[in-house]
Amino acid sequence: MCLWTVILLPLCSSASEQSEDLFTRANALYAKAQYQQALNSYQKIIAAGEHSAAVYFNMGNASYKLGDLPSALLYYERAHRLSPNDEDINANIRLANSKTRDKIEELPEFFLSRWWTSVYLSFSANVFAVCSVILLLAASAFLIVYFFAHRITIKKPSFFIAVTFFALGFCAIFMLSQQISYFDQKHAIVFNSPVYVKSAPAETARDLLLIHEGVKVTVLEDKQQWLRVRLANGSEGWMKAADLKEI
Amino acid sequence: MYKRMKTRYYITLLLFLCTNFLFAQDARFTASVSSTQVGTGEQFEVTFSVNGNGDRFTPPDFNGFQVLSGPNVSNSITSINGNTTVSNAYSYILAAVKEGTITIGTASMVVNGRRLLTSPIRMTVVKGQPVQQNNQAQNAPDNSIAEEAPADLSKSLFIRAVADQTTVYQGQQIVLTYRLYTRVGIVDSRLDKLPDLTGFWSQEVKDNQQQAQWRVETYKGQKYNVADVRQSILFAEHSGNITIDPFEMTFIARVTAPARDIMDQFFGSYKDVKYAVKSPPLVIHVKPLPENGKPAGFTGAVGNFTMSTDVDKTELKANESLTYKVKVSGSGNIKLLKDLNVNFPPDFEKYDPKITDTVTESTKGVSGSRLYTFLVIPRHQGDFKIDPLQFSYFNPSTGRYVVLPGKTFSIKVNRGTAESNVTAFSAVNKEDVKVLDKDIRYIKTGEPGLSRKGEGFYSSPWYFLLLAAGPLACVAAFIYRNRERRNNSDVVKVKSRKAGKVAARHLAIAEKLLGNRNEFYEAIFKGLYGYLSAKLNISVADLNRETISSALNNRMIDQNLVAQLLETLDICEMARYSPVTSMSEQEVLEKAKTIINRIEDEI
Repeated sequence: MCLWTVILLPLCSSASEQSEDLFTRANALYAKAQYQQALNSYQKIIAAGEHSAAVYFNMGNASYKLGDLPSALLYYERAHRLSPNDEDINANIRLANSKTRDKIEELPEFFLSRWWTSVYLSFSANVFAVCSVILLLAASAFLIVYFFAHRITIKKPSFFIAVTFFALGFCAIFMLSQQISYFDQKHAIVFNSPVYVKSAPAETARDLLLIHEGVKVTVLEDKQQWLRVRLANGSEGWMKAADLKEI
Repeated sequence: MYKRMKTRYYITLLLFLCTNFLFAQDARFTASVSSTQVGTGEQFEVTFSVNGNGDRFTPPDFNGFQVLSGPNVSNSITSINGNTTVSNAYSYILAAVKEGTITIGTASMVVNGRRLLTSPIRMTVVKGQPVQQNNQAQNAPDNSIAEEAPADLSKSLFIRAVADQTTVYQGQQIVLTYRLYTRVGIVDSRLDKLPDLTGFWSQEVKDNQQQAQWRVETYKGQKYNVADVRQSILFAEHSGNITIDPFEMTFIARVTAPARDIMDQFFGSYKDVKYAVKSPPLVIHVKPLPENGKPAGFTGAVGNFTMSTDVDKTELKANESLTYKVKVSGSGNIKLLKDLNVNFPPDFEKYDPKITDTVTESTKGVSGSRLYTFLVIPRHQGDFKIDPLQFSYFNPSTGRYVVLPGKTFSIKVNRGTAESNVTAFSAVNKEDVKVLDKDIRYIKTGEPGLSRKGEGFYSSPWYFLLLAAGPLACVAAFIYRNRERRNNSDVVKVKSRKAGKVAARHLAIAEKLLGNRNEFYEAIFKGLYGYLSAKLNISVADLNRETISSALNNRMIDQNLVAQLLETLDICEMARYSPVTSMSEQEVLEKAKTIINRIEDEI
């Protein structure tokens, strides 16, 4: 009992009444198609230091309805980060991406690595964390039973169960670490249009690419005003930090 | 011999030279004009004549003049008394375009190997209508209009393209008339070229009368017989300045010829002249439709329209057909109307509309009506609503867009008889789900599941603590078990440790047997013996007073306690065989318990 409260305490941590109230009111505004007011209310929740996938998702929807595609994508990506396996979020990201101006062919990925990515993104980090804790505790319990049991009919199955649970627990920890490192990679959305991608971090450098708002880039290097970025199609270059917003 | 030959050669040569000299002296290349003073637009003739055979004639470039015809080449060969003269003439009919003094440049030609040039001619061009030489008194408007030289027919026979307006909006209708002006009699006419009217959609106005309707009209101060040759209604297809190409016709005009004799003077003489006529090009300025206030469903209608919508029934069975009619009437580009987009409920099967035009083209433009007949078939029962059709058009006279709203129709579809058949073969008749539009998924309502930013359970110290808890517990358990095992491997120690429990069990049994004398004492005895056997590691068989006391003494047990123990054992033994005892059963039980407790304390 005590154990459960310890695990669940941080998950359902003190979401203040005020923020939940704001959320409900913002949803009502959205339903009345007052998207700007709804967006402002959602932003108040974020400003209060709280967030959730649902809030970011709704902010993305409001921005989309206001025609602000890059903001919508930014919020969707933030929601995706908190809840990687939410089909609603992924569907809206796909739809919003189809409306952006640039058509960027993604580099083909080996099918196994694509599958593996989808596996470790199938649950949020917190779920993996809770699962790993429960599995390890259960495994330990069975191992202790194994240590002290005298009858072979108890000893044998508890040992195998313990081994299986340990394996699953470590598997969960591994997936958690994979997901953390996946989201540790900095991404950003292009906010200005059109934007030149330069060959070097200087205004005078040669223009390599011309892209428009809404493109998602991977940030590889940060050099004060300039960021080295990579597009989904693999091309790299330098962009001004002011043209980008980090997810 | 040789000398004679030579003489003959010289003679021949001399003769040759003589003739050559004669020819060369004769060759003249001259330019002449019919008049050196002309008005703008007036025709005149320039002739370059050469006597002799020439080639490589190069005309001057007639800058400032319009070449109406030419070069017209005429050759004449005259032979008088064996003396043959050849002359060639190249003539052009020109019209002056601008006023001022303009020079006709030199023309060149090669005659007998020599290049000859004409001298330039200075022309004085004056403005406007030149002096009319030939229309003396006769100014009758009718058929006997004028006699003029063929070159001057341009003033008495021409075609004009007349548009009712030259500045229009895109799609607005223009009535274009090709009007024939004549002051001469026309014997015959032939259409040479119709303008292709690029940039316009045109509709010809069909006349009932085959014959041209002649009337008298004054144009530029002159009276003409006028007829409309052809009338078209044009709709500009794009904005900008669009030029209407010339309309070309050839006429055979009957021109009075100057009298040659008395008979001619009396009856009048004439000759037929073939004359090609071209209408001057006409430029139409087409303005684009204003973007400002353009309605959403605008289909390009320009003019003045009214619209009505109708359905043939408002209640029907499923799978029966429903006719939805839209009638657009008025004047404007009716035939250019695009298909109307009627919002039928998605469940209705919709067919392309049948379009019936009732359009008349008149000199006022195109007017009439267009009837769209939509055939729709509701496939399922229910109450449906056909949204009102919004028909919008641009009114060029006000310069505004006008939106005509249609009516809303409520259609009640009852269960159809054929629908049962449909369900029977539902697998065959399955319909694809109609994808109407794509939109983002709706927002998430309900619990927001808020958490503090930058705080995940997976990164909190709690997580690592809990993660470590299980394995740590295992390690602790493992260590504990091993110590337990080590302890348990010493059998004597285990036995002695468990002796107390065994004794307690026996004493508990004895307590239940209180009153059952024999069995009670036996239980007490067994309990004590069993306890001692286990505690002192002596088998029950070897246990007697001596062994017990010596073993207990060895373990430094209080002498008093040993004595008490032995006494209790004696009592138990005696009580089993004799009915008299010094103590009650209860007392014995208590005593046994205290003894065991005390031994437990000491060992």
